[in-house]
This record gives sequence, structure tokens and C-alpha cells, in this order.
Amino acid sequence: MVRLVFVLCLAATAAVPLRSAVPAAGVVTVEICEEGVPKDATWPTEAKVTERYTEDVFGLFELPHKYVGTGVRADRAFPSLVRASATVQLPAGKHRVLLRSRGPARLLVEGKTVLETPFDHARIYTTLRAVGGEVLFNEQDKYLNLGPDFRFAPPGNRETWATLEFSGAPQTVVLETLIGVLEPRSKTPFRPELGETVAAFSPAGSETWYLLSPGTRTVRYTDEGWAAYEAERRLRLETMNTAARATRRAEHAGYWNRRRDAARAYLQATREEPVPSLPPGFPAHNAIDHFLAARIAKVAADYDPKAAKPGSVDFHREIKPLFEAKCYQCHQGAKVKGGLRLDLRTEALAGGNADGPALVPHQPAKSPLLQRLLTTDPDERMPAMSDPLAAADIELVRRWIAEGAVWPDFARQSLALTPPADDLTFLRRVTLDTIGLVPTEAEIAAFRADRSPDRRTKVIDRLLADPRWADQWMGYWMDVLAENPNLINPTLNNTGPFRWWIHESLRDNKPLDLFVTELLRLEGSDRFGGPAGFGVASQNDVPMAAKGVIVSSAFLGVEMKCARCHDSPTHTSKQKDLFSLAALLAQKPVKVPTTSSVPMDHLTAGGRKALVEVTLPPGSEVAPAWPFAAFCDEQTAATLAEQPDNTRDRLAALITAPQNERFAQVMANRIWERFMGRGIVELPGDWEKASVSHPELLRWLARELVRSGYDLKAMARLILTSHAYQRAVDPALSAPSPLFTAPAPRRIGAEQLVDSLFAATGKPFSVEPVVIDLDSARPMNVSIDLGIARRAWMLGSTSNERDRPSLSLPRNQAIGEVLEVFGWRAERPDAIGGTRRVEGNVLQPALIANGTMMSWLVRLSDDHGLTRFVLEDQAVETLVDRLYLRLLTRLPSAREKAHAVGLLKPGYANREVKTPPPPAPPAGPRTRPKYVSWSNHMSPEANLERVEQNSAARRGEPPTARLEPGWRERFEDVLWALLNAPEWTHVM
Amino acid sequence: MNRRTFLSHAATAAAAATLPGLLRANPGAQVLSLPKGKAEHCIFIWLGGGMSQIDTFDPKKRGSSKTRTAGTDYDLVDTAVPGVKFTEPMAKSARLAEQITVVRTVHHTIGEHGLATNFVHTGRPVSGSTIYPSFGSIIAHERGAVYEKVPAYLLIGYPNVSRGPGFLGPKHGYIYLTDTESGPAGFSPVDRIDGERAQRRQSTLKLLQGREEESLSSYAELQREALRLAGPDFMRTFKLDQEPAALRQAYGGEFGQRCLLSRRLVQAGVRFIEVSHNLNFINGAGWDTHNAGHQNQYGLVQELDSAFSTLITDLQDKKLLDKTLIVIGTEFGRPGSFDAGGGRGHQERSFSLILAGGGLKHRGAYGVTDDLSAKIVENRVSVPDFHATIHAAMGIDPTKNLGAGSRPVPITDGGKPITALFA
Repeated sequence: MVRLVFVLCLAATAAVPLRSAVPAAGVVTVEICEEGVPKDATWPTEAKVTERYTEDVFGLFELPHKYVGTGVRADRAFPSLVRASATVQLPAGKHRVLLRSRGPARLLVEGKTVLETPFDHARIYTTLRAVGGEVLFNEQDKYLNLGPDFRFAPPGNRETWATLEFSGAPQTVVLETLIGVLEPRSKTPFRPELGETVAAFSPAGSETWYLLSPGTRTVRYTDEGWAAYEAERRLRLETMNTAARATRRAEHAGYWNRRRDAARAYLQATREEPVPSLPPGFPAHNAIDHFLAARIAKVAADYDPKAAKPGSVDFHREIKPLFEAKCYQCHQGAKVKGGLRLDLRTEALAGGNADGPALVPHQPAKSPLLQRLLTTDPDERMPAMSDPLAAADIELVRRWIAEGAVWPDFARQSLALTPPADDLTFLRRVTLDTIGLVPTEAEIAAFRADRSPDRRTKVIDRLLADPRWADQWMGYWMDVLAENPNLINPTLNNTGPFRWWIHESLRDNKPLDLFVTELLRLEGSDRFGGPAGFGVASQNDVPMAAKGVIVSSAFLGVEMKCARCHDSPTHTSKQKDLFSLAALLAQKPVKVPTTSSVPMDHLTAGGRKALVEVTLPPGSEVAPAWPFAAFCDEQTAATLAEQPDNTRDRLAALITAPQNERFAQVMANRIWERFMGRGIVELPGDWEKASVSHPELLRWLARELVRSGYDLKAMARLILTSHAYQRAVDPALSAPSPLFTAPAPRRIGAEQLVDSLFAATGKPFSVEPVVIDLDSARPMNVSIDLGIARRAWMLGSTSNERDRPSLSLPRNQAIGEVLEVFGWRAERPDAIGGTRRVEGNVLQPALIANGTMMSWLVRLSDDHGLTRFVLEDQAVETLVDRLYLRLLTRLPSAREKAHAVGLLKPGYANREVKTPPPPAPPAGPRTRPKYVSWSNHMSPEANLERVEQNSAARRGEPPTARLEPGWRERFEDVLWALLNAPEWTHVM
Repeated sequence: MNRRTFLSHAATAAAAATLPGLLRANPGAQVLSLPKGKAEHCIFIWLGGGMSQIDTFDPKKRGSSKTRTAGTDYDLVDTAVPGVKFTEPMAKSARLAEQITVVRTVHHTIGEHGLATNFVHTGRPVSGSTIYPSFGSIIAHERGAVYEKVPAYLLIGYPNVSRGPGFLGPKHGYIYLTDTESGPAGFSPVDRIDGERAQRRQSTLKLLQGREEESLSSYAELQREALRLAGPDFMRTFKLDQEPAALRQAYGGEFGQRCLLSRRLVQAGVRFIEVSHNLNFINGAGWDTHNAGHQNQYGLVQELDSAFSTLITDLQDKKLLDKTLIVIGTEFGRPGSFDAGGGRGHQERSFSLILAGGGLKHRGAYGVTDDLSAKIVENRVSVPDFHATIHAAMGIDPTKNLGAGSRPVPITDGGKPITALFA
């Protein structure tokens, strides 16, 4: 219902510019004019309206986004005019009126300008030297203070006021402001932000300020009043944006329906993958379990117990890890050194080009594999170009060969299935896996109360519909696609903040083929969250080659990193393949620069055969061409692409074509790996190096993905509802069994951990705005504003290469340091192939025990969720039970409970301080807080201010006065221990 | 696997690089002629912003920022090495020049702060496909901590990628602190937790650590390791108030205190310490002395002089100077002429980096620049050469290959140590 109204209001692509509206009664009409706005610092005379919507009052902070194509964010013209107009009736008399906005603004009453703020971006940038960060700190001493609860101007807003006489009759009020004005010398726009664009008034005789309103809505313009208004309006903006995206996508429904038809036709024309019947004795929820069980039953049948003598070397436990660490870089997969593969027993027995069979079972002296480890001849010894194996490891290999080089297909201990995980373990696991948080008490209670047999499926469906589903996938795609915006000056491989496009795509559950198509079309805004931001790679001389490496690995499982400079020594990709792909993205031939090469004489120095070959000399020009004919015939694009003449669109069609089974398999495997902890192909971004453990299952999953319309959630639902996903972990496993008989505890993702810690304790996730150019004094090419973070993935890198305290963001840093030790990367100059592989390190427990962020979470401050919780009227035993459920999604053991109750019982009855001392009155008059931004960061005062902010961040919020300190500290100690519990670090 | 030892556990194993191993690593290189020093520790002082060599370690004819006359802005003083001069605000260090070599002919081609910072830390231009490790991480990787129970690499300054371990992996990264008051992140609790509270916390935690899952018990093992490091043995290193007041005063302000802490970290067995100087309080700009930033540079240079000279004499007194290589780094230098605001721009084609102690054969200065230190006249030293010199001084073969995925990457990009500095 609401949606319809907004669709009618928004007319983003109106071919005929709209005429300025006559103010409608009771609402503020907001018009955006992209045309007819002069580039110099003057007001337009004939701006044409290109979009229109309505607001309740004269209070703007963000415009609805403009979406193009199938629904990707786009920039508006730089500059654009924003005009808010309404008929306003104020009581007769002299009232104070305030105009405030980030850009230059003016307020007109009955067509007459009554207030105006200056065109002074250029003055601040150049004359006051914001360009070099040299604006004097005392510039901030000039600000308006117009009443006891007057809201001070946030950084970077211009403001002015006057006392105006009103007749009492309805009058036309128009507020105009310019966004994205140009820096005059470079002609680069400043960020097109509204800041706080408001018209407010204070009635005669009053000190209170209100946003100017044409209707019945009254909004007090105070800090609290604005905060509530902004929060409410943000939800409305989100609804408008969602509706606008849906409209754009609907405009392309014809083409995408044809794509669906093509996919169905392809499925019909090709062989279905039969679902095996379930072997006796195996449990199954769906087809996935049939495939897995059939495989386990087969391995069990083939298993030869004689091969395993007690005390003998265990290949999977002892030898394979050695091979993985020392040999597989060169001797695994399709392209290997010396023609020798050590990832398959048959291949190792067959041997390579030089030595004949690498292994002769029972005869170590005749096995070149061992002799290569032992020799002292540097040209012969393996591993090449690195330190020799430790003597103990060599001895292990010798014994293994002497015992017959037993090499079973799968590890022995992994043939028995674990039972289903218990309900609460399942709930915690699935909630973390879908929305990235631990379940709330209410969610736990509802689940425990539901005794229906399909309660797990109901939970899965609830979670799949939860909007926070998008949050949980953000870190993954930001890693895989190397989303890497930098807040200030560009460093290596910075991109635009296309995180916002990823997030909206996940919110809309965009089909994966559309997702990839939008990404590769590189349309929309590059600096403000469109997929065009993916097309940027700062400081990189062939950005599209960098993107080619990411795209081929992300969507086709083809690793091409090495091909940037030479044919890969261990992968089949040629340099030319990568540059052809780069040219498709660039939409023109691409030249190989000298930096993308290595001198051949360098490579052949020393006598050993060169490990790599350069087949494209620097300066070669490579034309756009599809390098992956094996996956999909290039001709397919002619009929499938929406714009077959556009090389990006062709590329997108060739990758996402149903004929390209590799794409659907890669995506299915990615989803599988995320939930199951191990891929069917082990490296989701590099398929050349690993075998497919369950080819039939993979093919079946991929076809289901295509059948569902490339629906990520449908695939997730299949996997999450399977028995295999819901099984209990095997405590002895550190990685899931390759037969998926049992999951292993999976390391929790950094964002899951941090977000869950905040959510479970109820401590607000509160950091500084993620921006260095807080007052928008820098042009948009050297500043990015990532806004207010509410989840961990929204943080960014300050990249404080200059060690300037003034350029730090202390609260961001306190959370970022925890995220980083658990595997999050503040900067992502390159992609990660799949789920991060993070090792344990001592900084993890250190920061959880003693870090700044954890001190916020452990201390019961007034804003802490557990402060309210412990004040509830309940028995101490209940409190302990609920605390365990809330934090660990389980009840305490008898010992744990007795211990905690023992600590919390003394003084429990008197824990509340009934009449806490009133907060100290503010010392001295109210003043506008000072801020530090790029514009003033060179001033010593800015550094001192930031150092103080840093101390304040470290101190955190003070403990509440509502709890008796002795009891509070004891509770905090229990809380500390529960937050340090090792079970936080893994998804169990 | 339980990893009971510190982050760089694996690195200690790699430290035992043998000559045959090195030969094999790069058979084409003339390995036998590589010098090999005996330094055990390295303190790397970072002057972010671009230190003006002409106003410090490579002074030329007197100029004036007031009249925009090109040249050194301060008086010159003789050093302990005949023929080598520093500027007057560097007078204390000048008296110690026999322990110092100013490498005056370093050069590269990158005029932008972030990229140049990365280059001076890693010795390689940024690459689209590989994140290179800092030389601090390489030293941590190759040699581990001196004492097994402490971290190999400490950073006193802000974390960033340039200082990081790149492809070597997080194990070879740093533990950091941003000021000497608060101690290293993760090892010094924000709130004072007295014995009783600590006991209460640990006893409650203990009940939660007994899980049977192997992954959880190995995390509990790391927890015990973290607890040990946060304990008095290592943390007393950070208690600067245990030092004599006169010594603390001689080191000077926060930067000096960082240098003093570095010496204590050396004594505790830390292998590599990066100390950042740029607090930009004295002149706002720090070492990035454009325009007005130059006006208060004198105090900045003096602060450096006090801390640097005290660090040398203090290490000497403790018999640690020969074992401890001090390096002063900066992303580039500055031209002899002044900009319109009376400050200096960037100059990457010729600038100074400094070595001291570490058992090298010091000579006051190495390499010669022209009369405004704008052009190199003799003995050019590339950043890889400079790194090779540091590695060689630390007993590391700069031609050795590190693995980056399937690709071998030599420790330096063809760098050759300055042989004149090796006895």
C-alpha cells in the first residue's frame, strides 16, 4: 500500500522534466533538479525538476537513492539542486527562523529570499587550507547557540538565522540547497550530501526550536527530537529505496523472464542427476543426505581393515599434511612441475617425467620421492627453492613407504555418522550461520516451547526471511570481491564502496545470475555504492586485469593471479587468457605494461629450468575475447546477452549462462562450503588444485540452483534442512570429515563474533562515523564516508600511514583490532577465495581478555543491556540460567551454576541502589563539541582532542550508579569469564 | 595442534638457515661474497612525513626559510667523524657519529606518502597481486624472537598494512601499542583488576575451559599463553618508571620514552621494534614540513636528537649497542629550496636513511650528494640495497626466497648490502 504511493511520487527516469510544483497542502514537496544547474557557484535560474517526493517537515539528511538499470545506485548530476517547498502557516508575530545545510542554501518566503548561507566550499578548501588539513582549530569557535536546548550544528553545516515577521496567513516557503558543488580548480565535486538541511523556527517568546512544518506533524529541533525523527525517516527512506529498486527491476522483467525460460529449457534438454536411493540404516531429510549416504556406504564397503595395522603410519594424519605443506604447491592438480602429481596415489605410482614412479611400496631406497628429500645436490633436492624437510619428517616418509605406502581414499575414523545436534546447539549454529548473531532469549524460548516435529524447518524459514541475512553474507562477498574503499587518499587497489550494492542485492535476494550481471556491467555510482565501484583499482596500472583475477576466481573457480605477469607455473591459465578477460571488462584492447611481466633472464638465472614463462611481451595488445571456451561456447552470448554488442554484457551472459555448468557449480559449492565448513571442492576459488569429493551431489546441487532461478536462499534452505548440516560435531575433528559424516567445530567469523558479543550483552554498537572527512571539506575523489556502522562489516580502514593521532578513529580502532585478529581485513587489496582460513593466535584471547572493546562489554554502564537485565526481579538461580542462555545458548552445568550462584548470591538482595546520586551538573555553559576532521587534522589542538577521544574510548562509559559496586564487580567478573569462554570462538 | 609458543613459533625453525640452504635458494647469486653481521635486535625509528635530510643529517650551505634562500635552515656542526657534518639541532648525535652511518644517497621515485611509506617498509612497489611483508615482519619470520617467550615484533605506533606481514601471514605480524602509557593492546587491562577479581575471573573461566572439543582446548591453551604474557614477567618491560629519572629525562618526551621502551624490549628479547616518531604535536605537520609546518621543525629535530643520542649511549652503557641495529627511516626527503609558505616539498630522488650500532663499521656518512642534496654524486643506494644491508647486519641472506603462494619471492628485490659497512 505504502509502496504504491512512493512509486507514484518518484519519477527518476521521467523523460520530460517536471515543472516546479505548486506546494501541496500539508506536505513538503521535495524536488531534485539535475538539469539546468550551473557549475559555478551561482543559483540556477531554470533548473528542471527530475525527481519529486514528499516529506512531512523541513528536515532532510539524505535523499532517496537514484537507481538505474536493474536497480543499482547511481550518481545524480554534480551539482544538483534540491528544493523543498510547502505552504506553511505560522501564527502572526515575529519568530526566529534558522536555515542550516551542508551545501549552500537559501530560504524564500513568498518568493523572497529571507535567509542565505554562502558558497564557501572553495574558500574553506583553498583559503583556509582544508586541502592540506590546516584549517585552524578555532574556526570552530564560530557557531550558533540560540537557546538552552538548541541543537548545535553538526560538523560541516552552514547556518544562519533571522527574526522574521509573519502575518498569520498561509505562506509559501521554499528551501533550496545545492549538493555536489564543484571545487573550482579541479572541477571535482564535493560529496553530494545534505548534512542536516533544515528550516526551523522558534516562536516569539519561546526558546524552543521546531522544524518548520506545513501540516500536523511537530518535530522539536533538539538533539533528542532530531535523533528520533532521523531514525524514523531512515526506515521510510529504506522502504522508498527498496520500492525504487523493485520498480527498476520490474522494467527489465521481460529479459530476465526469457533468461529463466532459457535456463528451464537447458535443464530439460540435459540429463538429470539421479538421486541415489538411501542405503539401509542411514537417516535422511532430503536428497543431499541420499547422495552423502550412498557415498559413505560405498567407501565402507570398499574399506579394507587389513590395510590398517596398529602403530603404522597413518597417511591422512601424518603424511598428507606434509604433502600439503611441502609438495602440493607444485605437485597437485592438472598442471604440475615435472609432470608429477602427489595428490592421487595412482599418479604418484605412475610418476613424473624425470624419475619414473615416485613411489615403490615397501622399497624406500628405490623410491625417488624419498631420495629427492635426502639428496644434498641443490639441483635435485625437494622441495625446490626452500628449506629441506626436517629429519623426523623424512623418517616418517621412509617408514610409510617401507610399510607399503598405504594410501586409503578417506581417513579411517570417519565412517560413522554423528547423531543430530541437540536443539539448542542447532539453534545457535543456524542463527549464527544465517544472520550472524547468537539467538536472543526470546528466540530460544520460542524454539524450546515449540514441540512440533518441523520446528527446525520453521526456524530456518524464519531466519531466511530475516533482513539480517544480508549482514551475515557481507563479509564473505567483500572478501571474495575485494571490496576495498579507503576513507582518504587512495592506496593500492582501492575500490568504491560497492558494499552498499552487495547489501541491497542480498536484501532483495537477487538471483545470483542477476547479481553477477549487475556487477560485471559496472554501472551506476563508483564512489557512492554502485557496482561501478568494483571497476576501480587505484594505483593499479591494469585495473581490469585485477578485476579479471577476482571475477574468474569468484564465479568460475579459476585462479589467474599468476597470469598477471607470466603463465602460471602451477595453473593452466595463460597470461593471454587473463588479458583477454581484462579486455572484455575494459570494452577495448588492453596493453600489457612492463610492470605486468618479469624479465626472462631473471627467470633462467642459475641453471634450473625456469619455473614460469612469459608468453606476452610487455607492450602486447590483447583484444576482448572469452578465454573459457571449455565452460561455455562464446556463441551463446549472441542469443543470451541483453546487449550482445557490449563486451561486459557478453561476459556476464557467458559466465551466468545455464550452459556454463561451472558457474552454477561454483556458486553451489560456495554456499555449501559456508554452511558445511568444507567445500565439495575444497578451495572454492581455485578448482584446479583439488578433486571433487562428491561430483554427483555437486552436479545435482548446481542444477537445483539453476532450477530455483539462481536463488541463494533456496540453496541455503536445501543445505540447512539436510540431516548432514544438522548433525552434532565430532569433538575430535578439527576439520569436517571429507565424507560429511560429522561437522567439526568451525572457527567463528570475526564479524559474527563481534556482532554477537554486542547483541548478546545488549551493549550498543557505537562507533564514530566511519569517515575522516567529517565536515565534507575534501572533494569526493579523496574522501569516502561509510556512515554510521551498526554491524561489524560496515567498518573501514583509516589506513593511518602517517601515524597522526588526529587521523585515527579510536572507537573504530578498538573494534577493528578485535576483528582483525579473528581474520577480518580492514583493507582488502586482493580477494580471498572463499571462507577465510584463520589460525588461532595468542592475540585472540589477549584482546578478548583485556582489549578496549571487551572492557566496554564487561562493564555494566547505564546503556548496557545487562544492567537492565540484572535489575529484573528474579531469583539469582534464574538470573544465572538466563545469563548462560543469553550468552552461550545453553543452560549452565550443575558445577557452573553452583559456582556462579555462589559468587552472585552475597549481596544479591541489595544489589540495586534505589536512589542513585543525580548526575553531576555540566560544568560551565553548554558549548558545541569540537570535532577533528581532515580539514583541521594538522593543528596541534586536533591531535590533543583526538588523544583525549582516544583516552575516552579506552575508558569507555562509566559503571552505572544503580548497582552496588561490590556486587556489580562480581557480576562483571562472571560476565568476563562467560565472554571469554572458548565456545565463543567456534560455531559448534 | 596446540601452539604453546608465541606467534612466531614457526619462525624460529626457519631461522636456522644454513649456507647450503642459501646456495640452493638462489644458485645464481654470488652468495659467498655476501657480508654477514652479528646484530641480534633491530630498532626501527620511523619519521613519518618525510624527514628533511638537508636540515638534519646531510646539511649543506646555510639558507633561510625567512628569505626563501635555498639551503640548510640551521647552523652546521662538526661530528666526531672528520669531514662529516650534521646540523646544530642534531649536535648530541653528532658527537656520536662514530657509531652512526648516514646513508645519504637513498632514492626512489614515489612522491606520495602512503605509497612511499609502503616502499620504504617493504622494498617493493605495490603490486596488484601480492601483499609484500615489511622488513620487520621478514626479520621476525626469519629469526623469530630472541627469547622464545616474548613476541618477535613490536610496533609502537598505529597499525597499518605497510608495517604488516603481508603474504607471510598474521603470525609474523606485530603486537602494537599507540602510547607508552596504556601498554600493548590485549595485554594490559583497561580497568585495574586486583588479585581477588582476577582470581574470581580465572576460577569461573576455568570451568568453561574443560570442553572436550579439540578446537576449544587448543584455544584454551592460547588463553593460558596470553595470560602468561599479560603477567608480570613480560609486562614489567613496559613499566618505564623503573628507570632512573635522569635517564628518562635524557630521552625526552613521548618519543624519547618510546625509544627507552624499545631498549627495554631489546633486553626482554624482542627481535624487532618499530617506533614511530610522528606525533605531530610540536609543529602539527610532523615531518611533513610543508609551509608553516617547517617553522617549528627545529624542536622536532631536537627531540629526535635527544632520543636518538640517548638511545645510542644507553645501549652502549648496557653493552647492547653492537647487538642492536638502530635504523632511522622515512618515506622520502625534502628539497633544499623552500616553497611559497617557507616550508619544503617532497624529494624522493635523493634522501638520507640512517644506521647506527648493530656491530657495523660505521663511518659517519656514506654516499655523497650535490650542493643542495638534490642529486646523488656518488654511491647510490636503492631502498632494496638499504634493506639488504639491514638483513645482512642481522645475519639474514637478503637473496633468500620466501614463499608467496606458489611463487618464490627473494627477501629483497635484488638489493646488495653496502659492503663498506661490514668489517
